[in-house]
Amino acid sequence: MNISSAIIHALPGDVAVVQAGLAALAGVEVHAISPEGKLIVTIETDDDGSNVATYERIGQLDGVMSTAMVYHQTESEPDKEI
Amino acid sequence: MKLTRREFIKTNAIAAAATTAGMSIPGVALAATPQSQDGVRWDKGVCRYCGTGCGVLVGVKDGRVVATQGDPDAPVNKGLNCVKGYFLSKIMYGKDRLTRPLLRMKDGKFDKNGEFAPISWDAAFDIMAEKVKATLKEPTQGPYGVAMFGSGQWTVWEGYAAAKLMKAGFRSNSIDPNARHCMASAVAGFMRTFGIDEPMGCYDDAEHADVFALWGSNMAEMHPILWSRITNRRLTANHVKIHVLSTFSHRSCELADNELIFKPQSDLAILNYICNYIIQNNAVNQEFVKKNVGFFKGVTDIGYGLRPNHPLEQVAMNNGYPGADGKPKGDPNKHAPITFDEFAKFVSEYTLDKAHEISGVPKDKLEALAKAYADPKVKVTSYWTMGFNQHTRGTWVNNMIYNVHLLVGKISEPGNSPFSLTGQPSACGTAREVGTFAHRLPADLVVMNPKHREFAEKAWKLPAGTIPPTPGYHAVLQSRMLKDGKIGFYWTSTTNNMQAGPNINGEIYPGWRNPKAFVVVSDVYPTVSAMSADLILPCAMWMEKEGMFGNAERRGQMWRQQVKAPGESRSDLWQYMEFSKRFKVEEVWPADLLAKAPELKGKTLYDVLYANGQVNKFPKEDLAKVNAHAWAGYTNDESEAFGYYVQKGLFEEYAGFGRGHAHDLAPFETYHKVRGMRWPVVDGKETLWRFREGYDPYVKKGEGVKFYGYPDGKAKIFALPYQPAAEMPDKDYDLWLCTGRVLEHWHTGSMTRRAPELYKAFPDAVVWMHPKDAEKRGLKRNDVVKVSTRRGEIELRVDTKGRNKPPEGLIFIPFFDEHRLVNKLTLDATCPISKETDFKKCAAKVVKA
Repeated sequence: MNISSAIIHALPGDVAVVQAGLAALAGVEVHAISPEGKLIVTIETDDDGSNVATYERIGQLDGVMSTAMVYHQTESEPDKEI
Repeated sequence: MKLTRREFIKTNAIAAAATTAGMSIPGVALAATPQSQDGVRWDKGVCRYCGTGCGVLVGVKDGRVVATQGDPDAPVNKGLNCVKGYFLSKIMYGKDRLTRPLLRMKDGKFDKNGEFAPISWDAAFDIMAEKVKATLKEPTQGPYGVAMFGSGQWTVWEGYAAAKLMKAGFRSNSIDPNARHCMASAVAGFMRTFGIDEPMGCYDDAEHADVFALWGSNMAEMHPILWSRITNRRLTANHVKIHVLSTFSHRSCELADNELIFKPQSDLAILNYICNYIIQNNAVNQEFVKKNVGFFKGVTDIGYGLRPNHPLEQVAMNNGYPGADGKPKGDPNKHAPITFDEFAKFVSEYTLDKAHEISGVPKDKLEALAKAYADPKVKVTSYWTMGFNQHTRGTWVNNMIYNVHLLVGKISEPGNSPFSLTGQPSACGTAREVGTFAHRLPADLVVMNPKHREFAEKAWKLPAGTIPPTPGYHAVLQSRMLKDGKIGFYWTSTTNNMQAGPNINGEIYPGWRNPKAFVVVSDVYPTVSAMSADLILPCAMWMEKEGMFGNAERRGQMWRQQVKAPGESRSDLWQYMEFSKRFKVEEVWPADLLAKAPELKGKTLYDVLYANGQVNKFPKEDLAKVNAHAWAGYTNDESEAFGYYVQKGLFEEYAGFGRGHAHDLAPFETYHKVRGMRWPVVDGKETLWRFREGYDPYVKKGEGVKFYGYPDGKAKIFALPYQPAAEMPDKDYDLWLCTGRVLEHWHTGSMTRRAPELYKAFPDAVVWMHPKDAEKRGLKRNDVVKVSTRRGEIELRVDTKGRNKPPEGLIFIPFFDEHRLVNKLTLDATCPISKETDFKKCAAKVVKA
């Protein structure tokens, strides 16, 4: 599976709208929101293609000004304990 | 508390994003670099793709790169990644990696029409050496018939070793990088205006400018990380404005305050109009211009870089081609001094009305742009990429953007910056600074200058006269010379010219398949080029070798070899050095040259070029010492193979060219510790803005601004006209065809198409066209169409919506898709000065397939 994180920049007035849009996307979780309108999200997907598709959909949400990816890791045994 | 791997990775991912965004999250420990738990070893690296040069942290587990992350300590990207960089960990692991040398054979022997079969490295080098020696002896070919096509993706030492092998070893200047297709016009522009290459500013301009102007650059897709810095500036400072100039509307336009969609080629007219506006409105920075600038008028009748028998070349009197008497017809680069008043008169005909008429841009938009450049209180940074460089007047248009910045003195200080972006990770570092062009030597030296040759020959401990004085075959000329049978041995690496070069049907393919040529492709995947070759050599890539890249802001960056290359793959560096052992000096040099250095008799090119007491100076033990801060016992494959720290030896010899000559590099050891440094690096300090006192150590106290590339310390402003393109739409081919890239794929897609995520995100190239143009041809979105030019045709689907929105009369096709080769359609017209192809303009038609 693919686990990745991204920073989303929204206009501060639109954060609620963006949050609602993100909630509707499978595998996307919001972890923090800053007063300037930055959101920290993670994206978890099983299939290789859907990761980018999800990312692309985030970019097209109303109120999203920019998205930037930070971290990506592939993991074949996600449920194994470390 | 027990953690699953999923939870652990997620925590790392959140922490990395939060650190980058400058936010804190309760319960998540923030680390500047990821933890080394979980058996993953992390080290700094550099992204493999574009010229931005983002820092990435590379995670290795069990000898394999399993994770990457934007490097929070990298000043370029401050922890961010674009979608391509995001999936970097996948690029080395495509299922079809090449792992053994493959030769076309029939009945156990080489046959140009045979099938690829595996052979040993030894056998591969045998046949290569045989072909090189035959070419050198063949009177219609000779040394310049031994040619190499390299890359702005070569590491610095690979380019350096290749240039040495070609220019000093085989004594052929026929080596050129694919950067010829990419930023040769930027180079020629710098050399003509400033007498020294590469931008004066740096990425920090993005946090200082009040106005950004994009000229022929879709940074939102092609330089997304720099774009995020500009977006941040635009969204956090209310007064900041963005102007986007393009021949079609694209994603960067979404953030534009002023979108200027102009007719192809009319950027020349717009730039002259801006100069005219500045002069008419008394906005010339008189003091700056008087002290720092000279005015010149260039010759104009320079042709279009086509074959000499083309009608457009026969009438051009300054294209430099042989005329009826055999002598060159003028020189396209020629220019003569004029006065400021003469320049003012020259641009005075480019009124607002005329600029509007030629460009089709509404007058208020043109005026708003001109005003921004003219206003002394507004700091302007201009960015450009292939719209300027891939232009039959590419050198001119580079000169002309400097005209604008120089007239108002908006240059060489924070926020005031004309900035040429690059498309490849080391177009600056390897192609330009190392000098892997057909006319260049390291540190801006050129083969035509006897003093420069003398300097290089001494630095390389070679007899006088080793380096030949005439430029070799440049990229487009290489294709023509292959087709004409003048090149007998052709070696390309780290590039894919059978997909990326212009006019594949007319020139490149017939050239490569010419029985008089033996074509070797070094690559990591079976690209279109590899499959068109006679011999394929499997390469190590990216983190499988130690490397150095130089990005667009003069920043050199190094990385350590992280993993082993698969199978029998070897780095380009190993290939050049090992191959050089196959030649005795006597076999490649004339007797009179060797007579000047009898001590070299009986030696191999390897002894002369690499085991010369300089390159082999640093023992293998130095690898562990230099890199002890990263991990214990570090080594790399080339040093193990040759028995000394190869990369350090090559670096030190190369750095000798630039130190003390305004191209100073930092110590080798420093690069292995820091996140890059911008040259010139003097007394341990990097240079952010060149040519200005206080920033640039080469400008003395009291000098203020000094353009020291020229002996008089002045830059040149050029009077140059608008001229039409080489081929324009007509009744048979009624559309402009523009080619380029998309966010998800990098260049010919040889790496990004093998990252499954990126492939699925954008699998096939499409042709974008205006809905009315589609309607006129009875086409709907997603219809399969045939796009043709006078040179060929391809079939692909049409898109009338989405990210690119061409105006009526223009179509756009990206070149990443090997199944839809748009370069079968393009014209091999070049800028006659820079020799860079215009991939942005030719005439095409579209019909339903």
